[in-house]
Amino acid sequence: MEFLGNLQLGLATALTAQNLFYCFVGVALGTLLGVIPGIGVLAAMSMLFPLTFYLPPETALIMLAGIWYGTTYGGSTSSILLNVPGTPANAVTCLDGYPMAQNGRAGTALLMTTVASFFGASFGIILLMTFSPVIAAYALRFGDAEFFSLILLGLVTSSSISDGSALKGLAMTVFGIMIGLVGADLNTGVHRFTFGQLQLVDGVSIVALAMGLFGVSEVIASVGKVQKNAIDTSDLKLKSMLPDREEMGRTWFPMIRGSSIGSFFGALPGAGPGIAAFMAYAVEKRVSRHPERFGKGTIEGIMGPEAANNAADQTAFIPTLTLGIPGSVTMALMLGVLMIHGITPGPNMIAQQPALFWGLVMSFWIGNLMLLVLNIPFIGLWVRLLSIPYHLLFPAVLVFIAIGTYSLSNSPFDIWAVAGFGLLGYFMRWARLPAAPLLLGFVLGPMMEEHFQRAMLLSRGDFSTFVTRPISGVLLAFTALVLLWSVKSGLSRRATAGVNAE
Amino acid sequence: MLSPPRSERLIGGVIAIIGALYVLQTLLSYDLGTLRRMGPGMFPLFLGIALTAIGAAIAILAPDRERELPDFAPRTAGFVLGGVVAFAVLVGWFGLAPAVVGCVLVASLAERPPRFLGALAVAGVLCVAAWAIFKVGLGLAIPMLRWPF
Repeated sequence: MEFLGNLQLGLATALTAQNLFYCFVGVALGTLLGVIPGIGVLAAMSMLFPLTFYLPPETALIMLAGIWYGTTYGGSTSSILLNVPGTPANAVTCLDGYPMAQNGRAGTALLMTTVASFFGASFGIILLMTFSPVIAAYALRFGDAEFFSLILLGLVTSSSISDGSALKGLAMTVFGIMIGLVGADLNTGVHRFTFGQLQLVDGVSIVALAMGLFGVSEVIASVGKVQKNAIDTSDLKLKSMLPDREEMGRTWFPMIRGSSIGSFFGALPGAGPGIAAFMAYAVEKRVSRHPERFGKGTIEGIMGPEAANNAADQTAFIPTLTLGIPGSVTMALMLGVLMIHGITPGPNMIAQQPALFWGLVMSFWIGNLMLLVLNIPFIGLWVRLLSIPYHLLFPAVLVFIAIGTYSLSNSPFDIWAVAGFGLLGYFMRWARLPAAPLLLGFVLGPMMEEHFQRAMLLSRGDFSTFVTRPISGVLLAFTALVLLWSVKSGLSRRATAGVNAE
Repeated sequence: MLSPPRSERLIGGVIAIIGALYVLQTLLSYDLGTLRRMGPGMFPLFLGIALTAIGAAIAILAPDRERELPDFAPRTAGFVLGGVVAFAVLVGWFGLAPAVVGCVLVASLAERPPRFLGALAVAGVLCVAAWAIFKVGLGLAIPMLRWPF
């Protein structure tokens, strides 16, 4: 039984003292930073990114992944208690979670969102374990043309699905690829776009880019906006948390539906847990016999979305680990960790690094069990953190970003780069240019160029190779469909805006 | 404040200009090669053309009605970025502890009104934490204090 052997190998990797410790660090920090509004998962991950250089790759991934799904658990806490989502993925939870808290049922809401999170996550992990090896085995047949088309599809989908205008997303993707090409060319060694700066020969540091674009610009946007509120902690006794039996019965189907929706949107590039939670809420409201209860504190309104966003957190790993194509910025950071450690992500990875893949997957079970403990008996601890004012918190975030960057190369150049990308990120926020496609383009751009060059070399300079090879042709057809669809929805939005204007 | 359609045109225009400059730099500096054997300039050439086209499309297709752009907050942005820059300047000359204090103090000016006592307390705690995590825990070779003169 190969599968059982893999599970055993994964458990053996995940259960070493070091990996258990860093898994705990990851989920605890994730919960902590998820609970506090104004520090999102990207800021949290980019702050701890430098630490991963000192750890073996599987430990580094286990920790970063723990932060990623930990924030989604923690984020529902401030949605319920403050009506402020801890992370964007928990925004929908505010709709019914906050009314529940106002009705004196905060404890029940907090307990049940944790249950839904665990259910959704388990669902996602099982899918991840079942499908990843199959997809990876299939993808072994892919050549350069297929990978080029796959990357193109991923980039186009993620820039069209992300909020706002698809054109702006595409522009930022291309801009990100451009930043990714800075440095010495792989084939010829020519220094491209370094403008004489020796520090740029090795390329732009992904850490500086991520910390500036997401960490620093998020701090700028949150200063002076995050308010603290008074919280009544008397509802948080374990006894007042349990729902009654009738209510408990109403939670099963929302959790199952939410998990399925979340798993689908999680694996789709560019969609992710935020969109998954939103879709799950919409579906729950539609299938409910009492849609009028939604928005007033009904338990279905928190169970579906919270199962969905946690399932999506887990299935997001499927394209990342099987194809080497990240669907979101957080997944791009995970790939960055692998590449820094000299591991080429792609369909070979599961076969070549079974301990890494199965260890990571088994650590998800352990991490989610830890989160269950962290979020039910210790919920009062996290709630107390909500009363720390943001003006004490944000300088600390900045200092960690600065030290983390400096520790990479001991050169102030990288910190200047963080400040520069922070400025860029702030301008982009102002101009409503999405930052996520930029980082995806940055990570995937160099790979894309390499596959493009090799595919064209093999086809002797003939572009038709991308269409005539069947898998590549199908992928490109999908890409064209996504583009057409986003052009169409963009135009119809424009038309309705024009009608409203008259 | 720019009206929404004009600001969209401006953003699209700036993107198109960046794309055009990128094409220019590519053509002037890097070898294109052939489609079969591409030089370092071929892929960037395609990128530059794509960015120019997308920028132009954003400018031309600018919607007549969009939400207003958010207000610009140069003060907040300036002090937060200033904190990062202060760290970059101070750490090379004076070591980690002064850089932490400088970063926290400059960044705390971004809050209105600035609260220096709280900021100093945060700076103190962070110095100890930085020492414990990065020096003791990870064993980094960054001096806590240094005197360059």
